[in-house]
Amino acid sequence: MTPSKKSGAPPDAANGRPRKKSKPGANSRAESPSRFYGIPLPGVRPEELSGSLIVLEGTDGSGRSTQISLLTEWLESEGFAVQTMGLRRSFLVGEDIDALMAENAVTRMTLALMYGTDFFDQLERRILPALRSGLVVLADRYIFTLIARSAVRGISRDYLHGIYEMALRPDLTFWLNVRPEVAFDREFKKSHSISYWESGRDMSLSNDLFQSFIRYQSMIKREFEYLSKRHGFFEIDGECSVSEVNRVLRKRIAAQLGIRGTHYQPSHALSHLWR
Amino acid sequence: MATPTPDIPAVASPTPEKAPASQRGYPGALVVVEGIDGSGKSTQLYLLKRWLEINGYRIHFTEWNSSPLVKSATRRGKQRRLLTPVTFSLLHAADFADRCERQIMPLLHGGYLVLADRYIYTAFARDAARGCSPRWLRNLYSFAPVPDITFYFRAPLDVAVTRIVAGRPKLKYYEAGMDLGISLDRTESFRIFQERILGNYDQMIDTDHFVLMDGTVRVNKLQKLMRQIVAEKVNLARYAPKPKKK
Repeated sequence: MTPSKKSGAPPDAANGRPRKKSKPGANSRAESPSRFYGIPLPGVRPEELSGSLIVLEGTDGSGRSTQISLLTEWLESEGFAVQTMGLRRSFLVGEDIDALMAENAVTRMTLALMYGTDFFDQLERRILPALRSGLVVLADRYIFTLIARSAVRGISRDYLHGIYEMALRPDLTFWLNVRPEVAFDREFKKSHSISYWESGRDMSLSNDLFQSFIRYQSMIKREFEYLSKRHGFFEIDGECSVSEVNRVLRKRIAAQLGIRGTHYQPSHALSHLWR
Repeated sequence: MATPTPDIPAVASPTPEKAPASQRGYPGALVVVEGIDGSGKSTQLYLLKRWLEINGYRIHFTEWNSSPLVKSATRRGKQRRLLTPVTFSLLHAADFADRCERQIMPLLHGGYLVLADRYIYTAFARDAARGCSPRWLRNLYSFAPVPDITFYFRAPLDVAVTRIVAGRPKLKYYEAGMDLGISLDRTESFRIFQERILGNYDQMIDTDHFVLMDGTVRVNKLQKLMRQIVAEKVNLARYAPKPKKK
């Protein structure tokens, strides 16, 4: 299946930036063209953002959350303060989105814009202050999942990219790529059922839940392939073992943050994740 | 430092010239009123609605910011003053999207004459006054159908402000644009905020084909004019009551 053919991509290409060799670490930021995709957020001075934004993307069951727990522990042991973000975690509308999704009377545009509100609330109130204080922000999904989900529902990609042009450009974006079948096995093992939204049931793809899940996740995966090219994701084969995926992540992040050693052994509290 | 090259192009177009109503792919029609608070637009739309309603036309009336779906979030954000210009704008867009997808579009496809008290131009004028990029706002609302008629009720700033301030015990925080930190005095802040909005509306008169209405004209006279314009520009016969089957 999908070998991680892009995992050797040069760091700068992995960020959609010009292929100019820049030293990993502090001074790479000054050379980057812009910290935003388009117009900056009102009231933000990019030069005061001294932290790093590292994004983990991938479909349900790709292992993102596990990796984020491990990376947080590793970074903290290396002396870096970490802030995390994820979808539906904003104070402003996080719970409202949960309620909307439970009702399933919500339409695609409304949901897309509620997720947009949720994203910018977290960005402005949590992420930017963290980056101003020099923290490492680990994002469990970012605008790319939001764009992919809406795009497969027929909302124009230009429209979606337009909404998120005020989003901060990540320093690194990893894509944990797994086949939909593998994602299905993992998700089923985790919760013994497949959720309405994970299987894209609002899209009437199939009455068979397995088929619906596979078709939906395949559509999402195709969007990610497109986004990966456009934004230069650092692709990792998410079907590798947890420790192997973590090793690749650490190596790349270490280069970005200027950490010398990449040795890491999870603490007792997290050892159950180390498969 | 290299010039920033956005690799995410945003759609930057004014409201596109769309085909006349009959070629828009739906049999309905959309009439909207716009203008700053106190310009008299709601009174006029109410009278237009009553006229059509009393005569049995197939109409539906819709208001800005009325969907129960995002009400709790809007309330929470406003009470605790959590909203930034961007989240304020997105939340209202989500609210509008809900109304658009679940009310306005189905009704237009179902052959209704839809009357809207405030429309996307409210967001363009108000959110730009808060500092959002006009290009970003245009893209944000590009899914909205273009109205058949957009009445722009214009009253001098002092007239409008006096009407609002006199009728309200206290101006609300966001309503007065207090989040912008223009002035600590609410009435003063409200005035400056409304002035900016008024300026933004004025800029859209030509680009968005507004029908300019003088908000200082007497109510019944203005209503007569409004009804004339609607009768001219909208094929009212389409929405007239159908004779009952025998």
